[in-house]
Amino acid sequence: MKKRTFKGGIHPYDGKELTKNVPVETVTPHGDMIFPLSQHIGAPAKPLVKKGDYVKMGQIIAEAGGFISANIVSSVSGTVKTIEPRLVASGAMVNSIVITNDETDTAVDGFGKDRDYTKLSKAEIRQIVKDAGIVGLGGAGFPTHVKLAPKNEEQIDYVIVNGAECEPYLTSDYRMMMEEPERIIGGLKVILRLFDNAKGVIGIEDNKPEAIRLISEMVEDEDNIEVYPLKTKYPQGAERTLIYAVSGREINSTMLPADAGCIVDNIDTVISIYMAVCKSTPLIRRIVTVTGDAVENPHNFNARIGMNYLDLLEAAGGLKENPEKIVSGGPMMGMALSTVDIPVIKTSSALLCMTHDEVAEFEPSACIRCGRCVEVCPGHVVPQKLMEFAEVHDIEGFEANFGMECCECGCCAYVCPAKRPLTQAFKQARKAVMEKRRRKA
Amino acid sequence: MSDFLNVSSSPHGRSGDTTSSIMFDVAIALVPATAFGIYWFKLPAVIIILLSVITALLTEFLFQKVTHQKVTIADGSALVTGLLLALNLSPEVPWWMPIIGSVFAILFVKQLFGGLGQNFMNPALAARCFLLISFAGKMSTFAVDGVTGATPLAELKAGNPVNVVDMFLGFTGGTIGEVSTLAILIGAIYLVLRKVITLWIPISYIVTFAVFVLLFGGEGFNMPFLAAQLCGGGLMLGAFFMATDYVTSPITKKGKVVFGMLLGVLTGVFRLFGPSAEGVSYAIILGNITVPLIERVTMPTAFGYGKRKGLPQKKQKGSVKQIDAVKLFVITLLAGLILGGVYQVTKTVIEENENKAKVAAYQQVCPGAVDFVETDSFKQMLPKANSSDMFADGTLGNVLINEALMGVDAAGNQVGYVVNASSKDGFGGEIILTVGFDAQLKVKGIQIMTINETAGLGMKAKEPEFMNQFKDKLVEQFAVTKIGAQTESDINALSGATITSKAVTGAVNAALKFIHTAVVPGSVPVIPVVPEQVNPSDALPSNVVPSDVVPSDVVPSVSDPVAPTPDSSVPVTVESTPAPSEAVIQQSVPVEAPIQ
Repeated sequence: MKKRTFKGGIHPYDGKELTKNVPVETVTPHGDMIFPLSQHIGAPAKPLVKKGDYVKMGQIIAEAGGFISANIVSSVSGTVKTIEPRLVASGAMVNSIVITNDETDTAVDGFGKDRDYTKLSKAEIRQIVKDAGIVGLGGAGFPTHVKLAPKNEEQIDYVIVNGAECEPYLTSDYRMMMEEPERIIGGLKVILRLFDNAKGVIGIEDNKPEAIRLISEMVEDEDNIEVYPLKTKYPQGAERTLIYAVSGREINSTMLPADAGCIVDNIDTVISIYMAVCKSTPLIRRIVTVTGDAVENPHNFNARIGMNYLDLLEAAGGLKENPEKIVSGGPMMGMALSTVDIPVIKTSSALLCMTHDEVAEFEPSACIRCGRCVEVCPGHVVPQKLMEFAEVHDIEGFEANFGMECCECGCCAYVCPAKRPLTQAFKQARKAVMEKRRRKA
Repeated sequence: MSDFLNVSSSPHGRSGDTTSSIMFDVAIALVPATAFGIYWFKLPAVIIILLSVITALLTEFLFQKVTHQKVTIADGSALVTGLLLALNLSPEVPWWMPIIGSVFAILFVKQLFGGLGQNFMNPALAARCFLLISFAGKMSTFAVDGVTGATPLAELKAGNPVNVVDMFLGFTGGTIGEVSTLAILIGAIYLVLRKVITLWIPISYIVTFAVFVLLFGGEGFNMPFLAAQLCGGGLMLGAFFMATDYVTSPITKKGKVVFGMLLGVLTGVFRLFGPSAEGVSYAIILGNITVPLIERVTMPTAFGYGKRKGLPQKKQKGSVKQIDAVKLFVITLLAGLILGGVYQVTKTVIEENENKAKVAAYQQVCPGAVDFVETDSFKQMLPKANSSDMFADGTLGNVLINEALMGVDAAGNQVGYVVNASSKDGFGGEIILTVGFDAQLKVKGIQIMTINETAGLGMKAKEPEFMNQFKDKLVEQFAVTKIGAQTESDINALSGATITSKAVTGAVNAALKFIHTAVVPGSVPVIPVVPEQVNPSDALPSNVVPSDVVPSDVVPSVSDPVAPTPDSSVPVTVESTPAPSEAVIQQSVPVEAPIQ
């Protein structure tokens, strides 16, 4: 079959061999659970509980604080200890609900009950997804119920399950594809029920041939679902490049996937939809890859949202070597941590502990205009030129030269032989542009 | 766990490529061409390469030390610049040329514009062009196996056959690095495999040039001609190693293609229509200047703003449309064609004027002559003089006889000789001069035709004070002295310009040696018979001597010891006259002369 892909991209060391054959292990949460009210894109959630309240597992403890926002569900049962700012992966102090885990996992009524999605209306399905607090688990954290309710419902012709997992080191999606493929297909069927004219596509990078084979066999009899093998290349799993690879359509930063007739959801998100709709289980857990050359036993964990990263690290046997850098997420787009004492949130995909920091190794030097950044940019912008604007904080110039089309994938900074902090500068410039737009609005 | 972790913005990975790894890859890719240059040109090539590279590194080091910058010679960019410059020099250049070139490249072209990444021209090529302009003669002296000769391209330009296989392998004349196409291609393959360069520029360059040669080369589909044009000169070295220089080539893919095409056209124009056989260096540095413009019109459209149906069209602010790219190309093309075209148009006029100037100069040193004709003996001697051992001992320096003619008066009578000789030992390149002799081989004067010496020093060679030293002397050879002329053959050196004085005297001596070998003093040489000029019916009454046409003082003396013999030494214009007596010769007049 034809390998679908996009123009640009890189082939970094993927480090997936550390954990790709390690089955997902469930870890039991202990101690205080921290639920930051901002675990998604959009407005922070509004707490529905107060200090001293008893909450059950699966109970909504904070509700969406706006149109683009998401509920937060308690992943354990216990008492609300406090609501106060706590440190999260991004380095910010975010208002969080802290719950003392009574370790009984007393669930709300009807938790885990089987439900037949075919008997539910579209509105009911969307409401269940909203109540379950599901957001995009790939990393961006866009509220899924908003995604599933586009204005042009009739025009959606592709529902794409993102199984590319192009980010190095991450193997959680792969493990899920190998271990729970029926839930992925089930979740996809639920979404397809919302879009009458859509075809389901599961896009998987060809460095996961076993997953491609397994799921292809399982969907053989489904005439509305197909597996698309994708060429292994970072950032194949970025929303825009994935849509292009699957449908040949291009969207830019001002558009939503739905504008190109596509709905894109990550593997773990689709499983969460399945769990919420068919198993009455809201989003209380996610798969986290704990990996890196500093970790004793790199592992994939089924972790409760709100639990401490330190517990995961401990479950992985701790550190065998002093890490130079610890990243929440993958090496290309993850956030470097100053401490591991932070909670697992909805968008935590991995904990990567590296003994060697490639970034610190080199000092940036003068641009030699080699053009590698232009070659690899999936947004087809000219990072070299953008850098000239970003460096002098020329926000207008940055915007005029398609600076906002940068998806911060990091390819340009990765390939730069002069080791210039391109992506880093663009992030700042993009923030400045968005700030300017907000002030104008 | 340590207390401190590195925290930085993503991405947290970096590729293994660094600026220095790229530069060393380029250096490695230049090894085959360098090695062949050393094998082919031996020691001089080694010396030039070493001097050039060491000077480049040293210049960068010293500049950065002096300006308190971080020393970056370890990144290898200065090494590559030095090496490229050396490969672009003839193995015949004196030792100080690579040094001056490297200093110019690193200091003026690179560092003064801001260092690595900021230069707008390829430093090595800019330095080469600088040297070409400043020391034209020395830069264009090429030799193979110690024998000075034209490069294959110059031969091709002159319409001579060349050996394409030798050109491909490199057994030919040229600069150190450009001779072997094969070695260059091996290096280029390495660069492509290592992904240091893409083929957009080289391919569009070479293909455009090939098409240009086919269209305008005047040779049609002459494959050997095309192959020679492709393998000759610096095209391959330029296309793969210098046009692809990151800093001075467009960063966008479309831009690379446009850039390559532009270079192809410019090189074609310069080579085919321009005055010189080579044009790669100038084409590339001219192309370098257009890079910002090319980049401006070839900015890629961002993802999601393409021409696909239903997508919003957004134009970059201040950007230019596709049509502007075409305009730019047309303008550049026109500029190139005008550059070449002007030369073509003016060539004949210039040639005519040069010819007039030459005759005027010849007349200056050969008083009384109105025309100059080639004689049999000169015709035979000339090629021999330059190729045989007449000047091989090197005592006269690097000299050459360009032309030797007999001066005749209006009646066609011998009045003397002129010999045009040149010396390449001048401080600023070749010096071309003409020495005039009378029939007894006494020097009647010299005229300097071409000289590019230092103003105020060497250029004084043109002044009468110096030139008159040669005048009216009948000697075998002159000698330059700095202690004051003692004998008739001594020439006082120009103060501060001994090199120039020696070069001028060398050329004069070459002319002397030639004329003394070629003619017996006072004899009347044979002029090759040109039938049209012979018309017995035009023979004129012997009593008519138009005095205004033949000045009395240049009429061959009646006491001429060696009388011309009837069968061999009679000038054509008097062939029809009866007995070859002195009187007859004296009385003959040109056919065009007014009668009665």
